[in-house]
Amino acid sequence: MKAYNKEILQDAAHRLLFDMSNDEYDTLVNEFDIIIKQMNVIGSNSSIDNYEPMIFPFECNTTFLREDIAAEPLTREEALRNANHKAGGQIKLPKVVQ
Amino acid sequence: MEFEPVIGLEIHVELKTNSKMFSNAPVCYGKEPNTQIAPLDMAFPGTMPTVNKNAVIFAIRVCNALHMNIDKEIHFDRKNYFYSDLPKGYQITQNLRPIGSNGYLEIEIDGKTKKIGIERLHMEEDTCKQIHFNDFTLLNYNRAGTPLIEIVSRPELRNGEEAMKYVEMIRSIVVYSDVSDGKMEEGSLRCDVNISLKPVGQKEFGTKVEIKNINSISYIQKAVDFEIERQTKLLLAGEKIVQETRRYDSNKNETILMRVKTDAVDYKYFPEDNITPIVLSDEFVEAAINSCPELAESKKYRYINQFGLNNYDASLLISDKDVSTYFDELTKFTKHYKLAANWLNVDVASYCNKNFITINAFPVCPKSLSELIELVAKNDINSNQAREVFASMIKDNISAIEAKEKLGISSQISDSDFVMNIINEVLKENPQAIVDFKEGKGRALGFLIGQVMKKSQGKVNPKLTNDLLLEELKKR
Repeated sequence: MKAYNKEILQDAAHRLLFDMSNDEYDTLVNEFDIIIKQMNVIGSNSSIDNYEPMIFPFECNTTFLREDIAAEPLTREEALRNANHKAGGQIKLPKVVQ
Repeated sequence: MEFEPVIGLEIHVELKTNSKMFSNAPVCYGKEPNTQIAPLDMAFPGTMPTVNKNAVIFAIRVCNALHMNIDKEIHFDRKNYFYSDLPKGYQITQNLRPIGSNGYLEIEIDGKTKKIGIERLHMEEDTCKQIHFNDFTLLNYNRAGTPLIEIVSRPELRNGEEAMKYVEMIRSIVVYSDVSDGKMEEGSLRCDVNISLKPVGQKEFGTKVEIKNINSISYIQKAVDFEIERQTKLLLAGEKIVQETRRYDSNKNETILMRVKTDAVDYKYFPEDNITPIVLSDEFVEAAINSCPELAESKKYRYINQFGLNNYDASLLISDKDVSTYFDELTKFTKHYKLAANWLNVDVASYCNKNFITINAFPVCPKSLSELIELVAKNDINSNQAREVFASMIKDNISAIEAKEKLGISSQISDSDFVMNIINEVLKENPQAIVDFKEGKGRALGFLIGQVMKKSQGKVNPKLTNDLLLEELKKR
């Protein structure tokens, strides 16, 4: 399995338009190491082929539903801050449909 | 060779919640672009979805109205696709376990009831609105995340009229259950139609064509009927139907090719792991069902059976939810239901149409209108006078009694002895009219009534006059 290093994580973060501190990258790299080792252990065990994969790590049903109360939205400036091209308060993209 | 159309409908309904399906951004139509957005709607890293309680309640109301099995454990899935209308790269929807399944809807065609099966109803989020120009596209994320329900029928519809009636009924249910404004022109209710043809008697379905986003109920019938005709002509000419997506052009009354579907798109659905399964208690589901206002069909039944209205009047009243609400309010003040329905369906409807307003903007409140109806019911004023009073009530913003006084209309005389005296005078003065009546000349009766009205300066009750005059003429 592909190793995750700081450069890969940094690249991913920058593509998503955010950044982290060096300590945070180190923590994340260590966590990926552990996850990948665990995946390798699971992957090397052939006796699991007949088991349905779980979606959640344990039975974790909830009854929580959010009350339908609207909150203050982002300002338009905040919402469009990361957009490179704007027009009339909207995000402008090259047309990709005919 | 004869062909049988097979039609199925997918209807998306925007729910009128205060906030979005998975974020607390407000849901508002017509606001400035990109001003109704929470970080989750733009897929900002670290944001997590939470499920809107009212959206679930609204979905349950519609499931119940459509006689569906309601799944009391809510699961969501991700529908993965890469397109600018959804910044997350996937839509949160319900693929494997829709909240509603196996329901039906009854439509009335030529006086007969037909049951249309409904396969599923699921909850999901709307995408952003894209406006395409010649060489660029603008994105407005206000709509992104608005709660939707999608209602998928079984392919049991057979023509344009059935499809139109089906959509009408779905619209009526979502509007009356107060879960959506159902405005097709604003995109609150959007309809995709799948149509294929098969030789009569053949079990296998033919190749289906999809017509996307039809935005008016009348266009549904026209689009379906056009498409049936188009496919029939192709098949009779020995050509094959191509699996494609088309749109309806209302100006040309035809469907137009948008794109050919080469392969089914693989959305790589998998469970949404940011939302754990949500268990709904029996009490919650029951309360959601009980919170549903009275539906149109139930109102119609009540109007006919409790108020004695005919099917036509009752159907007219329920065709607009706001009109039926006004009528319900009106019946709190008058028991003359038939008269009340007539005033609402004729005079009030005509005033609203002429002035391009809805009943909500009609200036006379139900209580005031009921006072006018009472005057008419008691024969205090005749129908012509009632119309004058009605006009004055609107123009001068006054009550029916005040309008009657302002117009100098005195109450009709319903004293039988008084009316009879005038009738006798008129008959004495017009012996030829009596002869004409006896010879079957219908106009003679009208002439005599006119003379009585003239003599009384229009003050006698016309119905009473008619009855007494007929009785007297029969004696002579």
